[in-house]
Amino acid sequence: MDERELIARVRAGDGAAERALYDAHVDRVYRLACRLAGDDDLAREFTQDTFVRAFERLGSFRGEAKLSTWLHAITTSVVLNGLRKVKRFRRREVDLDDAAGVTGTRRSAEPDLKRRLTLAIDALPEGYRTVFVMHDVEGFTHEEIGASLGIETGTSKAQLSRARAKLRDALADFAGEWVS
Amino acid sequence: MPSYVTRSRISPGSGSHDDRFEQWLREAARDYHRPGDTPREEMWRAITARRAARRPWVLATQPAFRWGVGIAAVLALGVAIGRWSAHGPVVSPPEPKPSLAYRLAAAQYLTRTEALLTGFRAETRAGEPAGQFATQARELLATTRLMLDSPAAKDVRLKSLLEDLELVLAQIAQLPAGADREDVQLINQGLEQRSLLLRLRTASPSGPAARAQGAL
Repeated sequence: MDERELIARVRAGDGAAERALYDAHVDRVYRLACRLAGDDDLAREFTQDTFVRAFERLGSFRGEAKLSTWLHAITTSVVLNGLRKVKRFRRREVDLDDAAGVTGTRRSAEPDLKRRLTLAIDALPEGYRTVFVMHDVEGFTHEEIGASLGIETGTSKAQLSRARAKLRDALADFAGEWVS
Repeated sequence: MPSYVTRSRISPGSGSHDDRFEQWLREAARDYHRPGDTPREEMWRAITARRAARRPWVLATQPAFRWGVGIAAVLALGVAIGRWSAHGPVVSPPEPKPSLAYRLAAAQYLTRTEALLTGFRAETRAGEPAGQFATQARELLATTRLMLDSPAAKDVRLKSLLEDLELVLAQIAQLPAGADREDVQLINQGLEQRSLLLRLRTASPSGPAARAQGAL
């Protein structure tokens, strides 16, 4: 069954088609929610929100973009709005430049690069972090990111470049890992 | 040095400084908030329950609801026939025999109610959310009230069954999405104490084979 037919059947109230649509997209939606939320319970909640909204709004889907792009736009909107409401996210909203504990720590004080990298990504400004996660971690193209976030492709590229620059600064004392 | 770092090391001379950093970063970031297996079934159940709880009236566009409206219409016709016969000619006419359509609608109502209550009991005992049954219970509750006002209620045994069903369907219809386990348990106890499922199966004029076909 092609995508157009699947959508038509979902709109007609076909329960099996709803499940097929869910099965086709849930893995990628859940992965993206996990990566951005950093918490399994939140990721489940955001994924459920995404599909509840998608089924409610499918009637307004005009088919100008791919269904996956439309779903990822809902996912990023749900996750980012949800995270803003969650207290746990407050510490991640601190700009990397202000996060002296992260950027200024010597390697001897924090030997675990994996943890340092996680903290540094968490500390990126929201827009940079979203683009970085979508592109470098989840493999979205700049075109897909632009369509999902409602930004220009060039903006996506610029934000990725700035995100990488900030991460490079934050991990400067590990430079030997990629320079050697 | 952690194995993670060793795996991420880029060999010397494999491109420009920036390229090497970007390649290293992509590899190192693979573990960033790495997702586990997708809890597919668990999330699907939650999604269907939430949709059922959030959109009770949107079901009007779905086949099951239209079918329910059909039953209600036939039952309403039965009510009208009953009232007409009650206020009809003074010369005592023979009691009008319910039409085939009316008997079909009544049988289908009983089958659907049995299916709902069986599903409710099984799912809630397995710890599934009870709120998902509220919409269907509301619809069947309206049909039950029509049945109580129809010729079917002249049968004392059927009337008693319908009154018990009215009570239990009203309880299920009012359950919120995140209903307390205690509320659900009380409903299930009521089902058991009044032997509702057994009485429903006995009341159906059609027998198990016909019920399985979803009609008479």
